Amino acid sequence: MDAFLLKDYFFILLFLLVGIGFGAVPLILSVLISPKTIGRDTLKTYESGMIPFGSAWVQFGVSYYLFALIFLAFDVDVLYLFPVLLAYGKDFVIRDFVELCIFVGILAFAIIYAWRKGVFDWKELTG
Amino acid sequence: MSPISDPGFLLTILTQAVEREPGFWNWAFHWFSQEIVVAVIGLLLIIAFVTINAIGLIYAELKIAGHIQRRPATMEVGWHGFLQPVMDAAKLLVKEAMTPTAVNRPLFLAAPVIVFLPVLISFIVLPFSEKLIVRDLNLGLLLIFAFSALNVIGILIAGWASNNKYSLLGALRSVSQNIAYEIPILLSAMSVVVMANSLKMSELVAAQDKIWFFIIQPLAAIIFFVATTAETNRLPFDIPEAEGELVAGFHSEYSGMRFALFFLAEYSNMFIVSAVFVTLFLGGWHGPILPGLIWFLLKVYILVFIVIVARWTFPRLRFDQLMTLAWKVLIPLSLANLLVTALVIKLVR
Repeated sequence: MDAFLLKDYFFILLFLLVGIGFGAVPLILSVLISPKTIGRDTLKTYESGMIPFGSAWVQFGVSYYLFALIFLAFDVDVLYLFPVLLAYGKDFVIRDFVELCIFVGILAFAIIYAWRKGVFDWKELTG
Repeated sequence: MSPISDPGFLLTILTQAVEREPGFWNWAFHWFSQEIVVAVIGLLLIIAFVTINAIGLIYAELKIAGHIQRRPATMEVGWHGFLQPVMDAAKLLVKEAMTPTAVNRPLFLAAPVIVFLPVLISFIVLPFSEKLIVRDLNLGLLLIFAFSALNVIGILIAGWASNNKYSLLGALRSVSQNIAYEIPILLSAMSVVVMANSLKMSELVAAQDKIWFFIIQPLAAIIFFVATTAETNRLPFDIPEAEGELVAGFHSEYSGMRFALFFLAEYSNMFIVSAVFVTLFLGGWHGPILPGLIWFLLKVYILVFIVIVARWTFPRLRFDQLMTLAWKVLIPLSLANLLVTALVIKLVR
């Protein structure tokens, strides 16, 4: 079993490395054969033809960060369901269902809580 | 127990290797030779397939878009413009690859590669037919989900490293959209996993030899389809690269071959999500008369066709509508669907 798993990892590692190669080779190739014309404004950041106004790396209000927080709480918990579902329904035990209900119910509370708190309502961020 | 988390296992392997020292390479070759042959053939086929698939899909997109808008689309290069995508690729290859001075150089260069990485790995477990699968991993479905998350990181890196306002806004939107739609994808896939009791792609398909899960689980199928369309940033969910407002979104600063890699990844992802949909809901390779491979590709390309047609017929959603759809509709529905499925399984068995 362990040797079998090691072979699985070998496949993933091989495809990962070849994936990097498959992405990198055309990039390097294009650098080698493409023309190089450096004008005064060639390497400026694109801003619809205007002269770029400052950097993009500034602090600003991201309206989505609450979504990200809920996602963190949610997605990690959802992953715990996968092993449960693999074993689910093998025998008839109604306790499985009750436990699943409790788990999913607590997950659902996270959504209901955020919903009631108005996270999903779009707010204009001012200032 | 995985070899990585179990140093003892690696030690055993090494001890075995030392014990067999005279014929170590012989032994190692014997141990891996079969897998290496499978892997190399699989790699070559997949690389060829990814390229041809992208060329075909770009052509299909051009032509379908054209005919929906009552114009003939590309007609010049080759028969009915069939060589247009090839010429485009050649053109992109000889285009100047510009790196603006303001960018974070290492991240900027790494992003296209990172975005493309999950594509090849996802192809490992796609079951083209009963025999035609590179490696039928136990956690095949989870592998695809896990590595497609890398795509989001690549997009975020591309957007941030570009130091361009359009790119940054596009990347932020893209990430919030992707994480919102990842949960309905997982939950609706779970409704199928709980019925098949497996994450192995071949067993998921084998569980549908009598009846497709699409018929038993229409709600999960629809949720999965909508959410994966959003996950691949396709219209009507293509807000991350809404051309009218954000130029090209997170890849505004990318030119030449780097842009081509994003493009290649997008079209390959379209194929992958459709293939996963076919595996989960449309019975994979199952079908009468024709061989499994043909059925699989036929189903996948019909789905891809629907996705392309949707792009040219629906208007773009507003961003708050998009987030509301995910959090207020799709996630509660998929949670409820999972619970109902679990209950019905208990009642039926």
